[in-house]
Amino acid sequence: MTSTTPTNLPLVLLVDDSVDVHRLLQARLRHEQFQLIGATSGAEALQLAETMPVACILLDLDMPVMDGFEVLRALKDKSSTHSVPVIVLSGLNSSDDKVTAFDLGATDYVTKPFDLSELRARLRASLRLNHLLTLLAERADVDGLTGLGNRAHFNKRWSEQFAEASRYGHALSLAMLDVDHFKKINDTYGHPAGDEVLQRVASVLQSSCRQFDVPCRFGGEEFALIMPNTGPADAAKVAERIRQEMADLQFPRHPEQRMTISIGLAGTDGGVGAMNAEEWLESADKGLYQAKRTGRNKVTVNNLTPSQTLRLAKAG
Amino acid sequence: MSKRSAQSIGLTGSSSEQIRSQLADDADMAELIEQFVRELPERAESLLRAARQAEFEQVRRLAHQLKGACGGYGFPQIGELAGSVEQMSPKGAALSNQEVERLLQTVNELNSMCKRAVAR
Repeated sequence: MTSTTPTNLPLVLLVDDSVDVHRLLQARLRHEQFQLIGATSGAEALQLAETMPVACILLDLDMPVMDGFEVLRALKDKSSTHSVPVIVLSGLNSSDDKVTAFDLGATDYVTKPFDLSELRARLRASLRLNHLLTLLAERADVDGLTGLGNRAHFNKRWSEQFAEASRYGHALSLAMLDVDHFKKINDTYGHPAGDEVLQRVASVLQSSCRQFDVPCRFGGEEFALIMPNTGPADAAKVAERIRQEMADLQFPRHPEQRMTISIGLAGTDGGVGAMNAEEWLESADKGLYQAKRTGRNKVTVNNLTPSQTLRLAKAG
Repeated sequence: MSKRSAQSIGLTGSSSEQIRSQLADDADMAELIEQFVRELPERAESLLRAARQAEFEQVRRLAHQLKGACGGYGFPQIGELAGSVEQMSPKGAALSNQEVERLLQTVNELNSMCKRAVAR
C-alpha cells in the first residue's frame, strides 16, 4: 500500500488492519503537508519503519497476530525507529490502555471514531516534535567547529562498527590522529589560527577518506577515523595519504609554519579475538604516542588480526 | 397474511427506512461513502455466515471492523449495533445456547440494517 510518488513531504505511516480506515484517512488527510503511507499488519509496519524515513506513526491497537502494543514495543526497542513519535489509535477509551501505551513510549492517543480536526492537529504536533528531535539529534552529534562527527558520534559509530566486525568477522581499522605541536600555534598565532588548523585537518580528513569511512573530532586537536571493511594494510595507505596531504598544506596565516599530524592505527583483516572496543581504541592510541615519541609526522600500524595478536602475545 | 398487509406493516415500521450517511454532504467523502455502501451488504452477509457457522472469533473481528468503519463513514447507528455484536462474541469465551441465539438475532438485525444504508 506504499505510495510510490517521491516528495519532500514528511512521511506518516498509518498502521491499521482495516482497509476502511486506510481509505478514510487517505481521503481525509490528502490536503495535509505530509505523505501518508500504509501498513495493514504489524510486521509490515516494522519493516517500513526501518527502511523509510518515517516522521510519525499512526498505530491501531486492535490488530490480529501482532497487536499495536507489540508493534510499539518493537519500534521502541530498535535504535533506528526508537525516536519516531507514535500516535496510538484505539476504539477503546480505556485508561488502562492509555497508560500502557504511554508507558511503552507512545507520544499521543486518539480514540475512534476520529474527530478529524483533532486528529489533524495532533498529527501536526507530533510532526513538529519529530522535526525538533531530528534537529537536536543532528546538533548533538556534530562538532560545531569542524562539522565532523563529535566524540558522542564517534562512540556510537565505533561501537556499531566494532560489534558488526566482531559478529561477522569483517575487516575493520581505526586511526587516531593528533596535530603535532598544536599548542605552539595557539600560543604564537592566537586561537583563530588554531581553529583554522583544526578546520583544515577536518577538510583533509573528509577529502582523503572514502565515502564509507567515518571521520570524527575526538576532542581538542585529536581526531579519529573509522574505516569499515578495511584491513590494516589498506588503512595504512589512507592514513599515509592524509599525513602527506597535511604536511603539504600551506597556511595563509603562517606560511612559514607547516602543520603535521601523527597517526596511530589499529586494524584487523577479520575477527577481533578477545579484544573489546575500548582495548582496540587503546591500541590505536598507543600507536599514536609511539609515532609522537619517535619523531612525529608519521603513521604507526598495529595489526590486530587474531593469529597475529596471539603470536605477538607469545613473543612478548 | 395478504401481500398488501405485509407491505403496509413494512411501510409503517422504521425497519424499512433508508439510513443516510451523516457525511453525505461532504464532497471529499462522497466517493468513499458510495464504495462503502456498495460493499456493506456483502460485509453483513459474511458476518451472518460466520455467526451461523459459530466462528465467533471471526464474528468479533468483522463486527469490530464494521463498528469502526461505520463511525468513520457517517453511520453511527449501524456502528452501535455492530459494537453490540462485538461485545456478544468476546475473545475466547464459550457461549451458551441462549447467548448464541441472541447473537444470531442481533447479527440478523444488523444485516437488515446494513441493507438500508444509502450514500445520499
